[in-house]
Amino acid sequence: MTEHEHREKSGGPSSTESWFRSDAPAERWLLSGYSRDSRERTILLELVVRVLFPTVIVFSLYLLFAGHSRSGGGFSGGLVAGQAFVLRYLAGGRLDDSSTFSMRPPVLIGVGLTIAVLMGFLPVLFGGLVLESGTFAFTAPLLGKIKIASNLFLDVGVYLLIIGVVLDLLRTLGSGVEADIAASGEERR
Amino acid sequence: MLALVVAHLLVSLVLPGLTGRHTRIAFGVAALPPAAALCWVLAHSRAVLSGAGPVEAVNWAGPLGLGFAFRLDALALVMTLLVSGIGVLVLLYAGWYFERGSGDARRSAPLLLAFAGVMLGLVLADDLLTLYVFWELTTICSFLLVGQSGVTRESRRSSLQALLVTALGGLVMLLGFIVLGEAGGSYRISELAENPPTGAPLSVAAGLILAGAFTKSAQLPFHNWLPAAMVAPTPISTYLHAASMVKAGVFLIARLAPVLAGVAFLPAVTAVFGIATMLVAGWRALRENDLKLLLAYGTVSQLGFMTVLAGSGSYTGSLAVAAMLLAHGTFKATLFLATGVVDHQAGTRDIRELSGVAGRLPWVTTVSVVAAMSMAGLPPMVGFVAKEAAFEAFLGGGWDVAVEVGLILGSMLTVAYSARMLWGAFAVKPGVRRNEADPAPAALWIPPAVTALGCLALGVGYPLTDALTSAYAGRIAGHEGEYHLGLWHGFNPPLAFSALTLLGGLALFALNTRLNRRRELLPAGMSAQHGYERVMGSLERVAVGVTGRIQVGSLPTYLAIILLTVLVVPGSVLLFRETPVENLRWWDRMLQLPLALVILIAAAGVARARRRMTAVLLVGVVGYGIGGMFVLGGGPDLALTQFLVETLTLVAFVLVLRRLPARFTETESSRGVRVPKVLLALGGGVFVGFASLIFSSARDTASEVSVQYLEHAEEGTSATNVVNAIIVDFRAFDTVGEISVLAVTATGVASLVLTARSSRRRRHARSRRDIAVTSPGTSSGERGSEVS
Amino acid sequence: MSSVNLTMAIVLGGLYATGFYLLLQRSLMRVLLGIVILGHGANLLLQQAGGAPAGRPPMLGEAPVRLMSDPLPQAMALTAIVITFALTTFLLALAYRAWQLLGHDEVQDDVEDRRIRRLESELAEGESAENEQELDSEATR
Repeated sequence: MTEHEHREKSGGPSSTESWFRSDAPAERWLLSGYSRDSRERTILLELVVRVLFPTVIVFSLYLLFAGHSRSGGGFSGGLVAGQAFVLRYLAGGRLDDSSTFSMRPPVLIGVGLTIAVLMGFLPVLFGGLVLESGTFAFTAPLLGKIKIASNLFLDVGVYLLIIGVVLDLLRTLGSGVEADIAASGEERR
Repeated sequence: MLALVVAHLLVSLVLPGLTGRHTRIAFGVAALPPAAALCWVLAHSRAVLSGAGPVEAVNWAGPLGLGFAFRLDALALVMTLLVSGIGVLVLLYAGWYFERGSGDARRSAPLLLAFAGVMLGLVLADDLLTLYVFWELTTICSFLLVGQSGVTRESRRSSLQALLVTALGGLVMLLGFIVLGEAGGSYRISELAENPPTGAPLSVAAGLILAGAFTKSAQLPFHNWLPAAMVAPTPISTYLHAASMVKAGVFLIARLAPVLAGVAFLPAVTAVFGIATMLVAGWRALRENDLKLLLAYGTVSQLGFMTVLAGSGSYTGSLAVAAMLLAHGTFKATLFLATGVVDHQAGTRDIRELSGVAGRLPWVTTVSVVAAMSMAGLPPMVGFVAKEAAFEAFLGGGWDVAVEVGLILGSMLTVAYSARMLWGAFAVKPGVRRNEADPAPAALWIPPAVTALGCLALGVGYPLTDALTSAYAGRIAGHEGEYHLGLWHGFNPPLAFSALTLLGGLALFALNTRLNRRRELLPAGMSAQHGYERVMGSLERVAVGVTGRIQVGSLPTYLAIILLTVLVVPGSVLLFRETPVENLRWWDRMLQLPLALVILIAAAGVARARRRMTAVLLVGVVGYGIGGMFVLGGGPDLALTQFLVETLTLVAFVLVLRRLPARFTETESSRGVRVPKVLLALGGGVFVGFASLIFSSARDTASEVSVQYLEHAEEGTSATNVVNAIIVDFRAFDTVGEISVLAVTATGVASLVLTARSSRRRRHARSRRDIAVTSPGTSSGERGSEVS
Repeated sequence: MSSVNLTMAIVLGGLYATGFYLLLQRSLMRVLLGIVILGHGANLLLQQAGGAPAGRPPMLGEAPVRLMSDPLPQAMALTAIVITFALTTFLLALAYRAWQLLGHDEVQDDVEDRRIRRLESELAEGESAENEQELDSEATR
């Protein structure tokens, strides 16, 4: 599959356009291997995204863990993280397997769903009911007392799944449609 | 008893694996469960005849009062002997009849066994609903067995006809069962028999149940499915359409006779339909040239005979019907099996092409003669014993005379077609080339020989037959009768009738050829087959008409109709409501007003927009406005999610819009269409707005559930954010379902959008391969660039 | 103690009217926008039917419980928002695919239904014996 995508890129119409080597990002940091055609690039946006991306991801993690007591939760956390990837798509173009985040979206969706379901059934092993929750408190060095409710893991599953869904949308409605456009050689509206 | 039935079904499940390679072994294995059932029943026969048969009830849905109930009584014993006994023989016979490893054999072995199982359940059932379930299962088995591979149009047509007629009757019968069960307060047949309901419900139930019985037992005017079903292979015709399944209708009347004893019209209706069937079918049998069709019409005729007896309700009549069930089962099975052998060995079963088979197949001829004697009612066969009892049953005055005359005429026809069958299958006919028939293998003629022996044994050993049947008759009539089955009752009217029947029948047979020539000249007249086709045809015509008018196929029309219904039905209720709207105020927070204005303007803009991008952006405005509403309404989580989702939705829309034309492409609809749409939409909006007022004013306290959630969130889930607690804990199951939906949608979107890409890729790869074949140099170079 | 908010009712009415109008259109994209708007309206309706006037966020320890808005409709609406999103993307993909295959994204009349309608009018025209004969054979095939 990956090979095909490479072929497509090399065979696509953009490769025939002039490509300034000096313009190519020296570092792969946060960028996929693919870069847009120079005419379509916005350096400013790329720069802003580079700076923003980790911040937004951290913020989404905060939302995920804060959801227990304040606003947030798996849904909003996942959606915020998803927006970060949307930004990256808008700035950098097609996300593909060479991106920093190397997990394929369907796999991520599956992992999220599996975690959520397993967390639902976990209490059964300890003689509880399905989806029952418990709280574990322990003291960690440096951090002090930490209280974790088992239902947090359900939220983690939701978080991962939402990110997966957003990435999948970028893969399909984003790169997929883009590839269609490229294939039909249609003028961009 | 349930275990026995289930054993049949379980074995039939494993059979398909075996039948492909070892056909004969498979049929042998298939014969085991019926054999076990037979042994079990025989072991209990003494107890049953003394009136203390085993009873079993399994409740599987206690509160609903649903369960399987079985009872082995005298009638069930008689039927089980037929069902399981003939089942064993037919299965063994079928192993040699079908070609090894043929598709028919693979299909038939498990189905025949399953049929034996459900038929056993049917005859043992003591619960009306249990009986109904097995009744319909036999219908389905029959459909599958008649249809076989469904390759020929004839088999499809016949199996469908059998299914439609019997299943329709079955449904009517179910209605009768329900009327009976509700009126009698119980669905247990034994309880109903002791304490039968009375009055109009009983009459209605009896009428409905008779419809079921008449369709299953192929009574006029439903008889035609049975001859049509003769396209099935002979073992199947033998078992289903001669020996067991078609008797279910007669069995049902006999089984419910004590319950329906109070129905005044029962004997008259059964007598009229039974005799009409007996005469019409007997007459038809004299004209058929296909041996199986001849026998099939004979079966219909005999079923009419049994229906008359089963409905009579008298002691002697019940005695006769039980004896007749045994007699018909044995002789008809023999004749069908023998016909199968003739067909198998001589390659045809057309009377006009068969000649001199008797010399080739002596054993088959012998058993056929025995069985035909029984069918014609000649001593010392069981057929004679049963027929004597039948003549005896209608010796009274009044209408009995008419019935007796009908029975005698019907029996004459029986004698005539019995003779015709023997002559047609085995006699040497002048002008017909003698058939080359190989001697039949033992496995093919032993099963009919066993049943033929049954004809003889039950006749000569009439005390045994009497013991079997009198137990049932005693229960029906409520007392022991004076009449006993026997071969010799002295010189009495029944004997005279038998003699008359024999003579008349033989005369009819002698004249038959001439009669047939006359019959050709008669107009076809009413044919049940034609009637069935007309009914089905007009049914389809009506279906097409209704569908064509109602289902116009336009989505906006459908939606408009749904919306209109909402406006009319709940809308009118809303207008006549009793809840007053109290505490009306303009807003809760001042800020709601400007937000509302923004939302409304944006919404109106969406409706008017002609450019896609405008519409999408305006929808985004609406969404953000709603988010603002949530903020003001005290739902920060909600607002956060709303904003995020709205952004993502916008992105998704814009990503797709790249490829779609800038303006909506639809053709502008005419004013006459647009105005009603606008009015309807406005009406819907008013309805919802009004409803929301009612809803929110109807609610004066916070819901019980919410209060509970607020109270228990902290200790139960250690969360202070109650909304989050609900999502991940209280209602976590919903959340798991929701994320599953998300996963499914993502997959759906991917498959919809990426299909074009993958097909393009395939094309691409193919063309690349072609290039690689023609010029290997370029392709390797490209591959190198790919690696880097 | 409940109060009825008229502004919200008007907004709801407006949203639903727009949504219904768009649903009755032939362009799949407009139908889709109608569904999105209806989804918004439904979420708002849930809050409105919850009955409690706009209160404080349902976070324990931040406000007295009796002043909080009802958490249950909020949780339901939260689920509904995400599901609507999923539905929207799916319909979007459908509209896109329809456009790809047909060159337009209009909702056409159902082909099978049109065939039945044609059969019906044909039969109604030629109610001859010949036709009936044909139908007979159809029925008992």
